[in-house]
Amino acid sequence: MIELPSGVPSSGRRRALLLFVNGSIALIGAAGAALAGAFALRPAAGDQRSRWVRAGSLADLPPDVPVPRVLSFSRVDGWHSARARATVFLVRDGAGGVRALSATCTHLGCQVNWDADTTRFRCPCHGGVFSASGEPLEGPPPRPLASLDVRVDQADGAVLVRL
Amino acid sequence: MIQRVLDWLNARTGYRRARTVLLDEPLPPGTGWLFTLGSVLLALLTIQVVTGALLTLYYAPTPDHAYDSVLFINATTAGRLVRGLHHYAASFIVVAAALHLLRVVSFGSFKAPRELTWLSGVVLLLLILAFALTGYLLPWDQRAYWATVVTINIARLAPVAGDAVASVLQGGSTIGALTLTRWYAAHVIFLPALLVILVVAHVALMRRHGISGPVRAKTGRAVPFYPYHAARDVAVVLVVVGTATALAWNGMPPLEGRADPTATGYVPRPEWYFLGLFELLKYFPGRWELVGAIVIPTVAITLLALLPWIDRSRAREPHRRPVVMGVFAFGTLAIIVLTALGWSDRPAAVAAGGGWSLHETAGHVLANDARCTTCHIEGGVGDPLGSAPVSRSLEWISGHLLDPEMIAPGLREPPRPFSEREMAAIMAYVRRLGRAADLGVPAETNRTAALVFARACTNCHVIDGEGGSRGPDLSRIGETHDLDTLRRLIANPKSVNPEATMPSFGRRLTPAELDAIATYLARRQGS
Repeated sequence: MIELPSGVPSSGRRRALLLFVNGSIALIGAAGAALAGAFALRPAAGDQRSRWVRAGSLADLPPDVPVPRVLSFSRVDGWHSARARATVFLVRDGAGGVRALSATCTHLGCQVNWDADTTRFRCPCHGGVFSASGEPLEGPPPRPLASLDVRVDQADGAVLVRL
Repeated sequence: MIQRVLDWLNARTGYRRARTVLLDEPLPPGTGWLFTLGSVLLALLTIQVVTGALLTLYYAPTPDHAYDSVLFINATTAGRLVRGLHHYAASFIVVAAALHLLRVVSFGSFKAPRELTWLSGVVLLLLILAFALTGYLLPWDQRAYWATVVTINIARLAPVAGDAVASVLQGGSTIGALTLTRWYAAHVIFLPALLVILVVAHVALMRRHGISGPVRAKTGRAVPFYPYHAARDVAVVLVVVGTATALAWNGMPPLEGRADPTATGYVPRPEWYFLGLFELLKYFPGRWELVGAIVIPTVAITLLALLPWIDRSRAREPHRRPVVMGVFAFGTLAIIVLTALGWSDRPAAVAAGGGWSLHETAGHVLANDARCTTCHIEGGVGDPLGSAPVSRSLEWISGHLLDPEMIAPGLREPPRPFSEREMAAIMAYVRRLGRAADLGVPAETNRTAALVFARACTNCHVIDGEGGSRGPDLSRIGETHDLDTLRRLIANPKSVNPEATMPSFGRRLTPAELDAIATYLARRQGS
């Protein structure tokens, strides 16, 4: 094993080399970190399009009673494209209009059920209660159930919901 | 203040001593640029670890999704850069490892007491090749799939344990999901763990015995590694990493078509660093194949591993070890020549990616007729055709084409199923969609011709490598036949050639169809 001579003088050359080595390593590290950040924080290039999905026929809906419908639609999720499903409640009011309420509780995202006896939506997770029009009545939910855009196809009376 | 924090840290961790141990290694005088290759390898391996870890954010190791996830990675600039760096750095590692090995052999650096440093280096070289092999299966493109098929079949050739080794490599009963997860696990967990252990051992052994230095010890003062030799290391690393980045920036890392076990027109070729072995196999046909595939590589690696015990003299100068240097010069030359031969021996049949083949065009026309577009439209039950790369396996798609309702239950009116030939054309179209985001619609004029070819001609005739082989290849038929002859030939072959065995199509095709296919074929001439 060879030994270093003691006290290598701190010359200008040594300082320049130190600057070069440390600067280059810092440069490579910074470039790598920037690239890693850009790669990892890629914005979710998901399927942002909304689409109209058929949810049933207007004639089948009883007045003022929310009817659950499971809708199936295709969704692109990164490299994965799959059939997604979502539950919505269709409510026909007396005047012939239709509303669609999302079944997702505004508290923590569980799916609410319609309780026909008390005419209330009830969330099974933390006891949230909503009125038939989706207003929060009891429990933790902070907001009404989300309302979705609805239109009725005049030709065949089909109800379409925008997802 | 900062000084006090650092002092406190040093009292607890002793980091200053660690820094001295790590960086102040004394180097013998005359340690030059050729001694930077080890650091280059270390830097490139670090790049592989970082870019590889990043790639796992998006990569999915299943046959149904691997290819799509790689396309997804390729869709952004950062993705192309990360994947490109991983791809090109892999090639650079093979080159740098080979140069490092040649430097160690030429300088006699493997000699006592450094035998184990050498041995760990040989194992590292094999590990690097194992990384390369398991890595290029992962994109699940044509090259990946067929290279894996060939590798597993080569393993099968090995005497005694061949079948056992092959089934371990394959995982399942066919090359598929179990093979992919197995090679993925090897590539990202098992091999990296071994790599870290061996790199640490290799570097620790190198530090224990010190750098061998120039062949003939020079007089002079030893200098510390940092910053004197580190500056050389960093300079070379900057050039190498810069080159890899430039390559990744300018060229899309290669990705071929989706893996397709039924592709007959595809000519598999390995990555360049296995081209030498690929070429070697050509010289050992039949029962001698074992020699090229197993015996020669095994003997070469064994001799390499035993080198410190073969070349035992104390002399380090190359000219005093003519036999060893001669054997290595021959071996290096042989690998270079074989690689160059393998490189230049490119089959001409590799289809150009640009234009649509007739078969794919026919599939496009068929798939866009009412049977598919009942469901596959904007807002329909299925995704619009061509809106996204197909994320299903080809087996799934052929099942769906045979019986759409079976795979997508609940269709009110299942469409009339396709004929076998129509299905083959649609599969060609689906493969085309999977290959790239090139969704340009083919010219209107060829559509009728494409349909006629797919329904009537493809059983016996080949165009651009697709079709049956009973009749002649029609790819350049226009060079020898004019439009009128072709029209008569198709309508009634015996009117042109009394000995023709081709059935007449005069009654089976409408005049418009006959005209379209004859016009198309007349235009088929050498490009």
